[in-house]
Amino acid sequence: MTDEYAVRLEGVTKRFSGHTAVDHLDLEIPRGSIYGLLGPNGSGKTTSIRMIMGILLPDEGRITLLGSDLDQTRREKVGYLPEERGVYKKMKVLELLVFLAEIRGIPRKVGRGRAGDWLDRLELGDWADRRLEDLSKGMQQKVQFISTVLHEPDLLILDEPFSGLDPINQDVLEAIVLEFHRGGMTILFSTHLMDQAERLCERVCLISRARRVLDGDLKEIKQRERTGVVAVSFDGPDDWLAGPEVMRQEAATGAVHLVLHKGADPRGILRRGVASGAEIHRFEVVEPRLHEIFLRHVGEQAEEGSGRAATGIVRVPVASSR
Amino acid sequence: MRRVWAVIRREYLQRVRSRWFVFATAGVPFLLVAATAIPVVLASRNEAVDRTIVVLDLTGDVGPWVARALEEGGYVVESASTVAEERVRQRVESGEVGGYLVVDRESLVAGHARLVVNGSPSALRQLGIRQAVIQAALEHQLVGTATDVDQMLAGGALEVEIIAGSGGGTNVPAYAAAYAGSFALYMVILLYAVAVMRSVLEEKTNRVVEVILSSLSPWQLMLGKILGVGAVGLTQLAVWVILGGAMVALGLPALLAARPELGELAAITSGLPGPSFFAYFLVFFLGGYFIFSALYAAVGAMCTSDEEAQQAQFPVMILIFVPVVALVGVIENPNATLSVVLSLIPFFSPFLMFARAVAGAAPFWQVALSVALMVLTLVGVTWIAGRIYQVGILMTGKRLTLTELMRWLRQA
Repeated sequence: MTDEYAVRLEGVTKRFSGHTAVDHLDLEIPRGSIYGLLGPNGSGKTTSIRMIMGILLPDEGRITLLGSDLDQTRREKVGYLPEERGVYKKMKVLELLVFLAEIRGIPRKVGRGRAGDWLDRLELGDWADRRLEDLSKGMQQKVQFISTVLHEPDLLILDEPFSGLDPINQDVLEAIVLEFHRGGMTILFSTHLMDQAERLCERVCLISRARRVLDGDLKEIKQRERTGVVAVSFDGPDDWLAGPEVMRQEAATGAVHLVLHKGADPRGILRRGVASGAEIHRFEVVEPRLHEIFLRHVGEQAEEGSGRAATGIVRVPVASSR
Repeated sequence: MRRVWAVIRREYLQRVRSRWFVFATAGVPFLLVAATAIPVVLASRNEAVDRTIVVLDLTGDVGPWVARALEEGGYVVESASTVAEERVRQRVESGEVGGYLVVDRESLVAGHARLVVNGSPSALRQLGIRQAVIQAALEHQLVGTATDVDQMLAGGALEVEIIAGSGGGTNVPAYAAAYAGSFALYMVILLYAVAVMRSVLEEKTNRVVEVILSSLSPWQLMLGKILGVGAVGLTQLAVWVILGGAMVALGLPALLAARPELGELAAITSGLPGPSFFAYFLVFFLGGYFIFSALYAAVGAMCTSDEEAQQAQFPVMILIFVPVVALVGVIENPNATLSVVLSLIPFFSPFLMFARAVAGAAPFWQVALSVALMVLTLVGVTWIAGRIYQVGILMTGKRLTLTELMRWLRQA
């Protein structure tokens, strides 16, 4: 119980007939963090999450959860919103929520109270006695979200949580997730929407083609991934832009991007600019957006992978699948 | 266990509350009640008049015999051997009496008579009157001899003494009960086992299963589902039995009071199944339901659509069809070696051993053995079905091949 990680994967591998969905994945999610599992479609996010939830068993490797690997802990302390989520369409909203809480060990009475509160909070109070089939997709999704937190989990796992929601409801749910985070809950969510990950995550793990390509604190990653680009916008003379630090200049919308030599110090350029009398509006060491980092790494890996197997999918000999 | 209970509860309540369930559960007995009540209601209208019959005796001899036979059948008889037919006819026309029956010499020789009524009499009523005439004629002709006409007309009696071989012969009501009971078992077991399959399939196509499986093991889910649907089946059967019992206890005497020509209460109830029938029915329903619902749950877990399930359930269907086809032969020759062997095969026992037991042809040890074998099979089948379920339940998209299935069984 004193484990500092809420979730820990060590060398986890999962093969399906013919291809490897997850290849020796290591993952450490600190308690209380809000963690993004990023990757393109088909990269192994959902398979990893299913293994964490014990729905699939890994072929190799070890998974520990909240310092324990017991099924019971998993079911009582974890809230899970799968990517492929559905509802019993013929059930009434409140009935469904009480049922889903009950199979996680919450007594019916308690479940009913909490479900009622949540429905009111998400403005679904009037729908409590309606059948799920009468609700819109977005409403159903909110009901599903409620069902994952009714048992007040320590760890919340959300697989592509906000897909299909309008921006307003997306904001509402994001705010709730951040509130849980402040309350000390560990949150793991997968997404292929980089903007969202950038807004919410403290830490990210980027996986592509079944493998981890990048992992760590989002700020550190961004610093590490700085490419040495300075964005400048100004009025006045421009002769100060050229110098020993600058490899080349690129025009960008509303600014000039200066691509520096490796390890060059941008402060010399700023000094020259001030001395030249130019009116400088902006002088910013550009942090790469997650989107760019993502593309850079996934692209690199694709090139690397092309030497190994044309599709990047590792073929497993049939005999080894026994 | 509380989680399994929650699944059972949900499955049970969702079904019991559905319109289909209410319709089927209340509808079937309602139809039976209607079938019983309608003739009673119809008969009680103008009863006094309809039941009054004038016997116009042209022989001046057989009249009292006919009158007595008719009275036994519930008629109010007025004898008129001397009155002119015209006057009786007028009384019928005016609705004062239900009708009149003319008996003559022909009646004594050939059981021929002439009935004059307002409106066409039912076939049943005609039959009753015809029988009264025949009985009266026979009794009249055989008067003085020791012949028991009642017994003769009831079909006599054949006492069978079996010198060698086990078990008694199958008497007719037991034969009918065995046959009807087996078919009823076939219907309800198939109905509810398929309901389990649909329920599994629905959760898959709904995509709700993954949410459930993050809270429950597939095994718990399957168990809850089978128990929940089974409880629905038992509820329905219980309602039917109770309503049926009430009908026999209350409705039947009322019906017979109104329509005595239908027969005697004791004769009808003696043909009805007794407590042992229901005990066997319950035991074999439970055995058959659990075995087949587990198989159907596995089929549901392997498939991804209704169409696919239609095909995939074929092997299981065969297990149910074989005994249904064999049923007639087994009931006719309940003690043939083949019948004994077939009825001991656990997948067939719910239908064949039930039939033999109800017909009184199966010794107790065979029934006990078949129940024991069913329990063993149940354990094996649920184990296999549980594994298939565990792997198959999350599979979507592609159809399963046999080799994959074998691998699942080894891996899961």
